[in-house]
Amino acid sequence: MRLIHLSSVFPLLLASVFVAPVFAQDPPSEETINFFARNCASCHTIGGGRLTGPDLAGLTERRDSDWITQFLIDPKGTIDAGGEYEQRILAESRGVYMPPVPGMNAALAGKLIALIEQEEQKEKSQFAGVQVSDRPLTAADVKKGRELFLGALDFESGAPACVSCHTSASIGGFGGGNLGPDLTAVYSRLEGRTALGAWLSSPPSETMKPLFADHPIESDEVLALVAFFGDEAASGLEQSESQSLPFLLMGLGLAATLLVIFDLVWRNRFRGVRRSLIQEARNA
Amino acid sequence: MNDFFLFAVLPYVSLVLFFIVTIRRYISTAFSYSSLSSQFLENRQHFWGSVPFHYGILVVLGGHLGAFLIPRSLLWWNSVPVRLVALEVTGMGFAVITLVGLVMIIIRRFANNKVRVVTTISDWIIYALLLVQVASGLMVAVYHGWGSSWFATNMTPWLRSLLFFSPDVSFVAPLPFLAKLHIVNAFLLIGFFPFTRLVHVLVVPNHYLWRRTQLVRWNWDRKTIRSPD
Repeated sequence: MRLIHLSSVFPLLLASVFVAPVFAQDPPSEETINFFARNCASCHTIGGGRLTGPDLAGLTERRDSDWITQFLIDPKGTIDAGGEYEQRILAESRGVYMPPVPGMNAALAGKLIALIEQEEQKEKSQFAGVQVSDRPLTAADVKKGRELFLGALDFESGAPACVSCHTSASIGGFGGGNLGPDLTAVYSRLEGRTALGAWLSSPPSETMKPLFADHPIESDEVLALVAFFGDEAASGLEQSESQSLPFLLMGLGLAATLLVIFDLVWRNRFRGVRRSLIQEARNA
Repeated sequence: MNDFFLFAVLPYVSLVLFFIVTIRRYISTAFSYSSLSSQFLENRQHFWGSVPFHYGILVVLGGHLGAFLIPRSLLWWNSVPVRLVALEVTGMGFAVITLVGLVMIIIRRFANNKVRVVTTISDWIIYALLLVQVASGLMVAVYHGWGSSWFATNMTPWLRSLLFFSPDVSFVAPLPFLAKLHIVNAFLLIGFFPFTRLVHVLVVPNHYLWRRTQLVRWNWDRKTIRSPD
């Protein structure tokens, strides 16, 4: 076991030996800063408190860089194979694993660790948190959020409406899509306005990231959606009822109707020579 | 198998096969472009197989094509829940008759001796592929709705990226297993298509959709043809 463990970590150790000294001295490149902004900042701040994921200030004091590198490369594997600390951070995230980060490798992890170390020493990091306005939310915001959710109102960037893949309890009918999770309780699940707003500003999930990378949600739209989700959460419902069965039954009903129509349209279809001769003889 | 192979290599392999072999087959043996109908051999089960299958698949394929060509219009249509449900139920209804027809076709091929004799290996393979395709599509519709919307948001950008020769698998990589199965099987079908009777799709006269069924009369004397000399 010990041998296997060492051999799997060795390449990472080797990489960090080469990478760490280089980036500890140099300021983080624009590329690294952009990477952090696009992939990390929607769930993590540096010194701005917890969002969906933990505040990364002081990370290198809590864990060594080998652990961080391994975690970045395989978040779920590291948590599952880990001990008390790993279980605690999973519990703090309400059992949600960090999604795998596309393009992550030991070299990039080293750059990100260096960036975090430099940012946490600043008085106020540029990643102290996405600023979601704290003005009071109104009924007009809820209405706008609802329209954005359903797609009745387009996102300015041309991003797709939430309802394509998500449902929520109040939208009625057969609900929204279920490719993504039910969003009825997302406001309380992400613990309110700040984390939800940050999440929406740059959706980090594997499915949403490619769609929203070039079509971000504008800050006033984020606020409207937060208002809508806040209103949904106030209903006290955990999730909407599944509508798969009534949908399937309606589909089956339509199919049966179509088969009856085919039989009627082609009621004089050719069924065979002999059969009709016998029928005629019997009728005579 | 990794996503890159399945969603950035396999589609091109299938499409290259599709174009080269269909064209080559048309040039070398144009008369092999036929559905090889077995309606003469059995025509009662044939009606309940062929008719629902063909009308079903035409509407369902039309829906897929629409989501690819006019995704914005589709998302606009789906922005009113009643319209979304109407579209999805219509798709589901036609998908169910496609499956009913296909199952009837397969049962007929097994159960009828005359028809089984004229059924080739490539027919069995194409039936298996079609069954996986239609069944997986129906399951996606039930378990991962609303496909008409997320096809337009996730599938269309991926298909466009294929079309412009810069495949971006990140749009499809996170999709659930059933959806991936449906996509991969679709490209297996496209790749296998030119080797099968499905090529009739490319030459079908459109008036087949509304013309009356043909009545075939044998133009020979049965008594003489049955006599040994």
